[in-house]
Amino acid sequence: MSEASRSDYDRGVNTFSPEGRFYQVEYALEAIKLGSTAIGIQTSEGAVLAAEKRVTSSLLVPSSIEKIVKIDDHVGCAVAGLTPDSRIIIEHARGQAQSHKFTYDEPILVRSVSQSVCDLALQFGESVGESKPKMSRPFGVALLIAGMDEDEKPSLYHCEPTGTLVKTRLKAIGGGQEGAQSKLEADFEKDYNENPTLEQAKHLALKVLKEVMEDKITKTNIELSFVTMGEIRGKKAPLFQYENEEALGQLIERIEREKREQDALEFGESGDRMEEDH
Amino acid sequence: MNDFKQQFLGDTLTKTLFSETEASATTNGLGSTGSGFETTAHKFALAPLQKPVEFAKTHIDNTSETQARIQAAHGTTTLAFKFQHGVIVCTDSRATMGNVIASQTVKKVIEINEFLLGTMAGGAADCSFWERELGRQCKLYALRNKKRITVAGASKILRNMVLNYKGMGLSMGTMICGWDEDTTDPALFYVDSDGQRLENHLFSVGSGSTFAYSVLDAGYHYNMEVEEAKELARRAIYHATYRDAFSGGYVRMYHIKQDGWVAFDLQDVGELDIHYYPERKGVPDNQVQEEIIRPAGVSV
Repeated sequence: MSEASRSDYDRGVNTFSPEGRFYQVEYALEAIKLGSTAIGIQTSEGAVLAAEKRVTSSLLVPSSIEKIVKIDDHVGCAVAGLTPDSRIIIEHARGQAQSHKFTYDEPILVRSVSQSVCDLALQFGESVGESKPKMSRPFGVALLIAGMDEDEKPSLYHCEPTGTLVKTRLKAIGGGQEGAQSKLEADFEKDYNENPTLEQAKHLALKVLKEVMEDKITKTNIELSFVTMGEIRGKKAPLFQYENEEALGQLIERIEREKREQDALEFGESGDRMEEDH
Repeated sequence: MNDFKQQFLGDTLTKTLFSETEASATTNGLGSTGSGFETTAHKFALAPLQKPVEFAKTHIDNTSETQARIQAAHGTTTLAFKFQHGVIVCTDSRATMGNVIASQTVKKVIEINEFLLGTMAGGAADCSFWERELGRQCKLYALRNKKRITVAGASKILRNMVLNYKGMGLSMGTMICGWDEDTTDPALFYVDSDGQRLENHLFSVGSGSTFAYSVLDAGYHYNMEVEEAKELARRAIYHATYRDAFSGGYVRMYHIKQDGWVAFDLQDVGELDIHYYPERKGVPDNQVQEEIIRPAGVSV
């Protein structure tokens, strides 16, 4: 029954299955899992976004892959899935952010810009009369939107092709989302008592990313960004920024060193266990 | 209302046109933004007539001379010039509506972003609105292209936007000033609501501009030091406020450097008058005679 209804009801984007499922949107969620992994962590100091870049050839210029983009001075976003779809969403989000500033002379709330993105996620389907939707199918991307409002409170939102918007403290999306999520949650509680500093969050994000990545982690095949209080023209303001290359190199080095030390420790404690593993 | 309906519309069309356009005008206001790929987010409803341009010409005052129904704030001295250390932008702060001083504390320098300044001459609302819209577009440009827009590019966007409303009552004379990324030279453009866009080392705009030009042209050279340049701008605005009744208030000054602009404190032109001319030189004290004013009806 299930199989039959699946093939019967998964053709159109305007038909529920008799069980109340909406297959095309569910397939869109699968498309996200085909993409590379992105991680978001919110702390009391700020929020961190980290993403894996799949550099499939040595001839490919890694900087041309964009997994994390800036939406406004105080908001950034990481994407996973069909990244070209995200271009439409990001253009929309940037437009909304700047229009808000034009109209109200204040930065847009992170929640508002995230909500506007999710509203867009539902605008798919066939054109009816005058109204022409942007897409004929659901978007195939998930987004992690990190930002900080003027009250200096950071926030992290997760947006899906279903149009769902969730505020969260920890989230992994993309290929390694399941593995990364459980690792994130375990370490978040164990190592940081659910309250890491921003620097600790960067470390945690990269550590987990390294574990779920297909390739060896390097400075060029990941992106790391964060939003925290910074300075715009000598004035304190929430600022979204990319981690600089030097700091990124040091973070990776530290993670690799810790991994080596941990391996050595485990080897020292139980030499035979290592034997068994191999 | 009926008289201009007669004047600008054919009788038979009047009813249908008005009912249609009045409805669309309400839905056509600000706020609808679309995806962001558009060149202008805002579309203004035109006068709901067959000849909106003609209507604007006769009903919106652009010159302070006509008996138009819509009176915009007018009268200004603004100036900007390039020199070796950047751009000096300097304005007065008076707004007039006809013969009335509407304000002495107008901010005629519009901070488009950290690297771009625009000046305000003509309709205050037009300048303010379109330069804020320009700020929005410049920010979107920077987000899309990961670098700042050039001053040339920004001024062209502004020109293209106002050109869409040419002849429809816009009144704007502005200087777009800034310093491009990775260049050693500052940039300065003049843009107005006629669609004119010029590049030069030195501009002055407004009713007091002729007076400002006379001071600027006498003292301007490119290799000025910052203090000399600031003093030149200050004197030019002061002298314009001295002779032009539609300029006055305070001297407002900005300096655009390679790493962005800085604003300086306001200076009262009345105090500058005392500073420049502690006593009116050339007029011997004994020749300045106080006029004796007697109350009417009182005979001595």
